[in-house]
Amino acid sequence: MILQTKDLTMRFGGLVAVNKMNINLDKTDLVGVIGPNGAGKTTIFNMITGIYKPTEGDVHLNGQSILGKYPAEITQSGIARTFQNIRLFKNLSVLDNIRIASHSHTHYGLFSNILKTKRYREEEERIKSEAIDLLKIFKLEDSAYKLSKNLPYGEQRRLEIARALATKPKVLLLDEPAAGMNPNETKELSSLIKWVRDHFKIAILLIEHDMKLVMDVCERIYVVDYGELISHGGPSEVQNDPKVIEAYLGQEAT
Amino acid sequence: MEYFAHLALSAGIFIILSVSLNLINGQCGQFSLGHAGFWAVGAYSSAFYGVYYPLPVPDFINLFIGCGIGFVTAAVAGIMIGVPCLRLRGDYLAIATLGFSEIIRILIINLDVVGGPRGFTNIPKWSNLGWVYLWVAITIVFCANLVRGTHGRAIISIREDEIAAESMGIFTFKYKSLAFIIGAGFAGIAGALFAHSQQFLHPNGFTFIWSVIILLMVILGGLGSISGSIIGAIILTLLPELLRLMGETIANWRMVIYSLLLISLMLLKPGGIMGKREFNLPFLKEPR
Repeated sequence: MILQTKDLTMRFGGLVAVNKMNINLDKTDLVGVIGPNGAGKTTIFNMITGIYKPTEGDVHLNGQSILGKYPAEITQSGIARTFQNIRLFKNLSVLDNIRIASHSHTHYGLFSNILKTKRYREEEERIKSEAIDLLKIFKLEDSAYKLSKNLPYGEQRRLEIARALATKPKVLLLDEPAAGMNPNETKELSSLIKWVRDHFKIAILLIEHDMKLVMDVCERIYVVDYGELISHGGPSEVQNDPKVIEAYLGQEAT
Repeated sequence: MEYFAHLALSAGIFIILSVSLNLINGQCGQFSLGHAGFWAVGAYSSAFYGVYYPLPVPDFINLFIGCGIGFVTAAVAGIMIGVPCLRLRGDYLAIATLGFSEIIRILIINLDVVGGPRGFTNIPKWSNLGWVYLWVAITIVFCANLVRGTHGRAIISIREDEIAAESMGIFTFKYKSLAFIIGAGFAGIAGALFAHSQQFLHPNGFTFIWSVIILLMVILGGLGSISGSIIGAIILTLLPELLRLMGETIANWRMVIYSLLLISLMLLKPGGIMGKREFNLPFLKEPR
């Protein structure tokens, strides 16, 4: 078990946004979280990545609690994420976006930076070539020196995933990676997600509204509604669960 | 001739100030209005050393010691203001730093050892145009190299998106503090050079209007651009003086013309003269 949430609960005043959520992820799992708008999916992500402090419950990474750590610490210990509304460093080049993400894997001091020592030059060369390699995987190497805000929408989404991977995570959290994509781009994205999992051998947890993508990609699915876990299982199991159908389509008329 | 030497000297000191403020405001995106305060801390502490406890060593070594003292004291002031205030954002941080620089000025007025409201006199003349421009070069190289390394990129990522930066494994508080410490420290060096070239300091020379003028230089040149800050500092130091030389009518109206020029420049080029671009010599460019 690489990632495990135990009775994760978040209350905003009297509102229970997420109630006793238990999510388990194995080493190379590809798991989806679905649910209607406002069900608390992004809140779960924000609690796992340390942006929110859960009211109750615990998050374990590799058997160790990461509760109360700073978001940066959590990223450095192996959880990376993308955002629902793209949060790239807009005015920086595509390459710089990746290089910033490899910050915690870049090892030289402030003074070797200022004096441009050999160590600085070697490390910079290393992270640059690693960044270019990563960009090649995501077919972005031709835009390496473009400002990231000038990329087409689909490429910005891909860059965000690439940037998250540059932190060398064990678990990747994708928050609506297909939002705003056309069917063709979504299709490409699903094969990309599978490929990333197989190539980097990491666990992926994704939130998505595009059912086709979720059913196509995920091995297991958690369904959340009003902060409660209402169903859990393989794609076909979840699809036929009356509770899920009720959450999405409402009750049958009697 | 002395007049032009004096102008060149203040231009140099303002280049150090604007490039260091650019690190805080332009590159890290933290709105600080306290630069005159850090400048004053560096100036007075270095002058204090020069007046009371100078070591019996050649002047230029004493100047380096003075600059070191200016850097350290201003950086400590930067930590003191930074640690409690960097959790504030935008306008709130601006107000807090503004208040801080006024506190420093009031403190100086009430400190009799540094002359209080009479001003600090008899400061040894250790600095000259050459030393000032040596430090200008050091400041520029320092800041330019910084933003091409992982530490500088971390600082810039905070300006771009703080939440994303934190999610990419960057301790934003640490790098905000770093930008503050380095920026304040170089303002302190500018203060030391100022004190040992002018030989006289007065608390009214460090009112908050100077923080605003330094900020103006940075914004005019292009927030986030080092070359822009240099250009901005040179223009804003020389422009009022140039207008003074252009005949009596213009000289009388020079502050009005100066303001109109600033307004029209900001209307025509809202991002500043350089925007976020840098002026790079070919051999300085990053190889592709």
